[in-house]
Amino acid sequence: MNPYSGVGFFEFFGVLLQRLFSGSSLVSDEVQLAVLCCSAVACGLVGPFVVLKKMALFANALSHTTLLGVACAFLLVGTTGGLLLGALVSALLTAAITELLGRVFRLSADASIGLVFSALFALGIVVVTVWLRNAHLGVEAVLGHADALQRSDLTLAVTLLGFNSVFVLVFHRQLALVAFDENLARTLGFSAVVWRVALFFLTALTCITAFRSVGVLVVLALLIGPYLTARLFCQRLGQLLLWTPVLGITACLIAVAASRSLLSTTGVPLSTAGILSVVIGLQFAVAATLKTLSTRRKICDTKIG
Amino acid sequence: MTLAEYFTDPILRAPSIGCMLMCMTAGVLGVVLFLQKKLLLSETVSHAAYPGALVGLIALALMGPEMEPYAFAAVLVGAFVFAWAGLKTVQFLENRFRIHADAALGFSLALFFGLGVLLTSWVQAVFPLWSNQAETLLFGQAATLTDGHLWVYGSLTAIVLTFVCLCFRPLQTLLFDRGSSAVERAVQLLLLLAIVVGIRSAGIILVAGMLIAPAVAARALARSLGPMFVWAAVFGGLSGFLGNVLTTHVRLPTGPAIVLVSTGFALLSLLVSPSRGVAFRFVRKYRFHLRCREENLLKELWKKGRMVRKGWVGFRLKQQGWVVRDGQWLHLTEDGKTKAAGIVRLHRLWELYLTEQLGVEAVRVHRSAEEMEHILTPELEERLTKVLANPEKDPHAQPIPPRRP
Repeated sequence: MNPYSGVGFFEFFGVLLQRLFSGSSLVSDEVQLAVLCCSAVACGLVGPFVVLKKMALFANALSHTTLLGVACAFLLVGTTGGLLLGALVSALLTAAITELLGRVFRLSADASIGLVFSALFALGIVVVTVWLRNAHLGVEAVLGHADALQRSDLTLAVTLLGFNSVFVLVFHRQLALVAFDENLARTLGFSAVVWRVALFFLTALTCITAFRSVGVLVVLALLIGPYLTARLFCQRLGQLLLWTPVLGITACLIAVAASRSLLSTTGVPLSTAGILSVVIGLQFAVAATLKTLSTRRKICDTKIG
Repeated sequence: MTLAEYFTDPILRAPSIGCMLMCMTAGVLGVVLFLQKKLLLSETVSHAAYPGALVGLIALALMGPEMEPYAFAAVLVGAFVFAWAGLKTVQFLENRFRIHADAALGFSLALFFGLGVLLTSWVQAVFPLWSNQAETLLFGQAATLTDGHLWVYGSLTAIVLTFVCLCFRPLQTLLFDRGSSAVERAVQLLLLLAIVVGIRSAGIILVAGMLIAPAVAARALARSLGPMFVWAAVFGGLSGFLGNVLTTHVRLPTGPAIVLVSTGFALLSLLVSPSRGVAFRFVRKYRFHLRCREENLLKELWKKGRMVRKGWVGFRLKQQGWVVRDGQWLHLTEDGKTKAAGIVRLHRLWELYLTEQLGVEAVRVHRSAEEMEHILTPELEERLTKVLANPEKDPHAQPIPPRRP
């Protein structure tokens, strides 16, 4: 019996707190919350660098093309490890072809990203519908299965979280340097290429792993949204790296509680992934309104003073 | 099945003509976005239209199942409103909060599509009868287009083509400099319309691909704006038609089929375009490289008299009648001697020019001359001769071969 069945929005947190100290085994809501929070922190640590390096749409392209790799791996191998490997290969392929189109064919960045991702994604859908005869995989890849998460998803999310936090903690200086100013990085003796590729790998890994559990668009929302919200109030990268995950976790808590309480009150199982991205949007809207109001007051005060 | 049947058969004609018109329109508008470097805006706008389309469906579903014939109109209206909102969100984020276009596009894409996912789950739970329609929106389904849809597609295509023809000059100005805002607004309006209408045939996720690939293909072939529009329309129309043919034969979803065909066109024209194509660039490079090697061999033969050399370059020289083979030795013919002397003359003239006119030391001029001897044209040779007053010795006191008529 799920202790969360029938609880409202605020009761959810009460039950969560109670169960947190009772030490009982995880139920589905808690697994979901844990996976989302881990993904949120993992994305929150990488997100600032992704946005600073203007890789957001590249990350979007990456998460779309993953479908091709996943579908091919499903055809050939069929295990979870194989799927991840396939996703990684397709991410590399995306990056390589984008780079090739830019260098050899001299296309602008937006054109090459657009061309690659629409073509590879179309190919992915073709593989899924023609060979796998499983249109569901396509829909699931896009929408995620955030409402049917299992313990194995949690293991994956925790692994990603561990990897990302260690990497960002150890190398945040190099990442920041490359994100802000590649030329400076080069003059200081860092290889800009190595760190750019490292950042790319980190992004790809985050997208792929999180995509398996929460879907393409939640990854994108978690990578960009909390960072943009945090940036309204923080100026320094250190603070941003702290606040972005915190905002992400808050959004996840609100989203899971809202999803559960909506199920309790209306009986409609809504997509938690959808709710999560709406919550992230609302977070930004609230923060932006507060910021606007406070700047306006400051301006008024100075005028009067 | 013959080609004509795709245009006359009462069941086949609506999907094939519809896809053609749609992709033509999308291709033409894609050109404008391509030149503004805003192609990915179409991606965000199309994803933003998704929740709108669902809102339209939900509104109909609330009114009852007898409203199903109006689904196309309801989806159009809802999608248009939300696509517009998505566009405004991007602009708001960029202008008000000074967020870079990349992050602004990504963020609003995620938000609007998230709302769409939320609504999808609602439709699935509350109106299961309509959820099939909702899934069609994602990947597109051209096969069920009817003649009624053709009127919408046809008029949109007509509007876009008329607009491009009438406002050609203002468009040109706009692409150089974001000045004339009325035209820009009109372009945005048409873009929204095209994307919203295109969702029916290509699906939310790939409607952007319909704009991107024809524009890329057109850019590879055209040198100015007018031809680029024409090429984009041609490629768009062709890929719409062929994509639809693929759909009917192989049972692919329409959107991916169209995108794959048009990407194929884009890659092909990127490869083989006569002026900008990569294949021709490589061919030109290779031929220049080969000529350099031929000329170097000629020069060597001219200095040494005869040489042992096998291989492609020697064979090419023999083909052109500049050398003859005698056992294992290569000898220059009379023609070859003239040709080689001409190259040596260019080399030494350039060395002399560098030392006398540009003041470079004599020990440093050889490397530059090694490259210039392959590039200098007869006109330049004449000028160099005039400037240097028809010299006879180069800076290393070697004789400069006289000019041949």
